[in-house]
Amino acid sequence: MTVLGKRGRSGSQAPQRVRSRTNEPRRRGRSARRSRWIPYLFLALPVAYLAVFQIVPLLQELRLSFTRTSLLNPGNNTWVGLDNFLAIVADPEFIRTLTTTLIYVVVCVVGAIGIGMGTALLLNADFRGRGVARALVTVPWAAPGVAVALIATWMTNAQYGIINRALEAVGLGVPNGQILASSTFALPAVLITTVWQLFPFPTIVLLAALQSVPKESTEAAMIDGAGRWWTFRAATWPVIKPTVALLAVLMAIWSIRRFELIWLMTKGGPLGSTRTIVIDLYSRAFESNDLGMAAAIGMVGVVISLLLVTGSLLLNRRAEKEDTL
Amino acid sequence: MRIRARSAKFKVIAFTAVATMALAGCEGSSSKAGSGSGGAAGPVTLTFAASTFGDPGRGPGLEKWIGKYNASQKEVVVKPAVVPYPTFGTTILTQMGAGEGPDLVRFDMPEFAAAAQAGLIEPLNTAIDAAKYNLNAAPDKFMFVGDKRYGVIFEASNYVLYYNTDLVSTPPTTFDEFLATAKAATGNGVYGAAFRQTAPEQNGMWQDIWNYVYGFGGSYSDGKNLTLNSPKVVEGLSAYKKVYDAGVIPKGADAATFRAMFNQGKVAMEIDNGGFVAAVRGANAGLPFSVAPIPFPVRSQGAILAPIVVNAASKHKEAAISFLQWMLKPESQKDLQLVLGASSVASVTERSQGELAKSPFLPVVDKLTDTSLPQVVLGYEAKTPDIRKIVIEQVLRALAGEVDMQTAMDAAQKKAVSTVG
Repeated sequence: MTVLGKRGRSGSQAPQRVRSRTNEPRRRGRSARRSRWIPYLFLALPVAYLAVFQIVPLLQELRLSFTRTSLLNPGNNTWVGLDNFLAIVADPEFIRTLTTTLIYVVVCVVGAIGIGMGTALLLNADFRGRGVARALVTVPWAAPGVAVALIATWMTNAQYGIINRALEAVGLGVPNGQILASSTFALPAVLITTVWQLFPFPTIVLLAALQSVPKESTEAAMIDGAGRWWTFRAATWPVIKPTVALLAVLMAIWSIRRFELIWLMTKGGPLGSTRTIVIDLYSRAFESNDLGMAAAIGMVGVVISLLLVTGSLLLNRRAEKEDTL
Repeated sequence: MRIRARSAKFKVIAFTAVATMALAGCEGSSSKAGSGSGGAAGPVTLTFAASTFGDPGRGPGLEKWIGKYNASQKEVVVKPAVVPYPTFGTTILTQMGAGEGPDLVRFDMPEFAAAAQAGLIEPLNTAIDAAKYNLNAAPDKFMFVGDKRYGVIFEASNYVLYYNTDLVSTPPTTFDEFLATAKAATGNGVYGAAFRQTAPEQNGMWQDIWNYVYGFGGSYSDGKNLTLNSPKVVEGLSAYKKVYDAGVIPKGADAATFRAMFNQGKVAMEIDNGGFVAAVRGANAGLPFSVAPIPFPVRSQGAILAPIVVNAASKHKEAAISFLQWMLKPESQKDLQLVLGASSVASVTERSQGELAKSPFLPVVDKLTDTSLPQVVLGYEAKTPDIRKIVIEQVLRALAGEVDMQTAMDAAQKKAVSTVG
């Protein structure tokens, strides 16, 4: 059957062949239905993976946190309601753990992003050997956490460590050379090691972001007489700000979860001076065999991470609203 | 069309939910306790976990010894499984708590006590008739919790003083001589002594300081109450700190490092357990060394008592018990002692002439069995890991110079009492 179709440019109507009424709409309907299915099908597997390996364990942890459960007999548990949460809130050691975690997260985020930004700005400039420099910068990130922890432990060794020898040479030696065994110096040592390992990631991400800054904006700013700082502030920062915000959230969550570096260097000691939430959780679960309490600490960590992500989302939305106004 | 799209979405969500439940359900149906397998067709396979299988000096010998059992019969095959010492307790107890884990385990005493009290170990009163075997009474009494036997001694390793005879001509007999000898031997890349003194080696450090505490007449408890800050405990730990401060030990070196240094002639003296003999011979057969009793005021020292136990969740308990019964036969005990070196085994055994010719100091080690104690706090055996952590934390604080040893142990006592009662 032939019907007249749309008018062409010349005004004439081109005949269009119409398929049989019985087949055409059905085929169009079927492919429309299939194309609607496909995104969900692709999503199904990752959702299933997340559900099995994240959501189900999280729900189990939530249940555990309301019980008294021993690692040696996990099947036999007693419902204690909020007792575990009340106990940890009332425990001054846990308050100290929270404070240590906060310090650890803030310093790691600010340190890694700050150094990463500076390094990215340097690597964004044009100089000989830039390619090699960019590759070398990734070495701390690529090194396994276990290797970094062991090397750092030896570098801070009381007798052989080069760190204390260098500090002694400039009159800043640590008493007895005890860095990791000192409750004053252990946390700074762990922080420096962590920041050293973390900074390449923000460097690479910020380098990519810097390369998306339009050259015309920075050139225009410089032509108008703006110095480097004002050029950065006016032309570069607005473009890379969303990237920095995202990095801050990611680094904060990773820092809350960091385990191997701290455990291998100090095990959360001495005297809890480097004990973060994750270290406390592990220690309660596998040293004190108290799964219920460990689960309660884990839930506190989850809440902190959720607050971070929510806060970041709200700030983002607010910034977007301000941009559109 | 909208209704059809919603229906499609529902189907996908339903599919995802079913897939999730199916995957989650797979976890529940996985095999339980022990890796034992076997059926009508073949032998039963048992897993035997021990940190000593990873010892460079003794591991291969132990595997060969187990091979003798496997070759002696066709019903059971025992497979050794290495789990590193620093994480052995955590790893195995986690597995056993979940109803899994190896069929046979060589425990250390703190974990043995915790596992026995939690019902994770099979009682052996009926399986092992002690009257049939000439068991070493002193270490064997620690295999009971209440009136139930939960294990038999796999190894009893007394702590002694090892010394390099090229660097130390006469072994010291008092603490002051020990310190003076260590100072005299230190220099030119050689250290006079060595011991564990870092937080990551908490378990081993506990074993090392035990010798100082008990060697000076101290005790962590009187059987009923903790006595962590008693004068003799503080005196012993102060002696430990004195050696630490004397500049005669490689600070920060872990046990693997300083033991290797001893084997290379770079550490003159080391207080270690009897099992170290085999490790030294394995690493450097030509090293000139001997052993002597620890030169502290009281003849009381630690011993690594390592019970071998049967996992209560094992599917093949009978097979596991048959291995224990084979292990306790006189020939098996002699063979095991040959592998373990200067350690004792469950039964009283006589050293062969060949052993004595090779290691004439063996009687020195064996004589210490009656005065050796397992490194658990009496009356608080299952709580020893918690007490250990508290004590080590405070001792490290004293070593770092933050407080004196009395203040450290006062703090340890207070915290331990509030933690374990």
